Amino acid sequence: MIWKGLGLITNTESPIVVVLSGSMEPAFYRGDLLFLTNSASERYHTGDITVYKVPGAAIPIVHRVLETHDKVDTSMLVPAQRMLTKGDNNHVDDIELYNGIKWLERKHIVGKVRGFLPYVGYVTIAMNDFPQLKYALIGILGLLALVQRE
Amino acid sequence: MHNLYSRFNNLTALLSSCMMALLAAIALSSLVLTADPKGEVHITSVKVIPRKHASKKQDLAFVNFNITADLTPLFHWNTKQLFLTLEAEYTNTQGVKNEVVIWDRIVRRKEDAVVSVLGKNKYMFREVSASFKNVPPAHYALKYNVMPYVGALTYGEAGRTREPVAFPPRKSHV
Repeated sequence: MIWKGLGLITNTESPIVVVLSGSMEPAFYRGDLLFLTNSASERYHTGDITVYKVPGAAIPIVHRVLETHDKVDTSMLVPAQRMLTKGDNNHVDDIELYNGIKWLERKHIVGKVRGFLPYVGYVTIAMNDFPQLKYALIGILGLLALVQRE
Repeated sequence: MHNLYSRFNNLTALLSSCMMALLAAIALSSLVLTADPKGEVHITSVKVIPRKHASKKQDLAFVNFNITADLTPLFHWNTKQLFLTLEAEYTNTQGVKNEVVIWDRIVRRKEDAVVSVLGKNKYMFREVSASFKNVPPAHYALKYNVMPYVGALTYGEAGRTREPVAFPPRKSHV
């Protein structure tokens, strides 16, 4: 309920994301938590950090906008934007990651990074990287439930 | 009631609440600790050179610039790093508004925040229509992104060219 409410306010399908790769180091490391917004009336600028998902990609990517090209159309609230992104820690732009798409468009974008909280998301990564941890945690919780007096 | 488990539980709950309050306070403090440093952006030369790439012709612009700015006021206790970009801003003949980053730098220490760079573009500077012919002059702006240890990301502009800089006619060699 809170998640959905937050999604409604920020206009994005996932208002909080965990950084999964090191391509934005030293700004963001694996496990850092990012807070997103995706206001429909706002255009993106170079230097903004976006989270985008192109068709065919398994996970969303967090990268910085390198180029924007706005086709100004008076009938629309916001211009049709074409964008190119790049990870701070990568040497080349993201064109290879777009699965054949030439430019990133607004519909591919999940949100703009607004806020940052370090490390907190690492729990989810740790559980993915070391499944034993997940089972250990479930085991401990189960044990506690049995041992504890009501 | 006061067994080891409940004591541990209470202690960790208290510690995590204190931690959250402290982080929130730090995040809020950086909203007050603001600065607006200004610097200079000069474009020393622009060249346009045609390139053939995958049987398509594409103009590339080569920009030499000189930027100076003292960005030390942006460093406070919640500044992890600055991300500086030099971008070109122009509207082409088809009415498309363009912003293209041609150079960037990460500044991680206050000691490195006095920026004085005599450089050239780091990233390819292309026009979406493939040609810079008749494209109106461009402004160049130095922008920064203050990235905190915790809290909101903020943005600002540290300088821009006073007059727009024209794209010269194509040259066949550098």
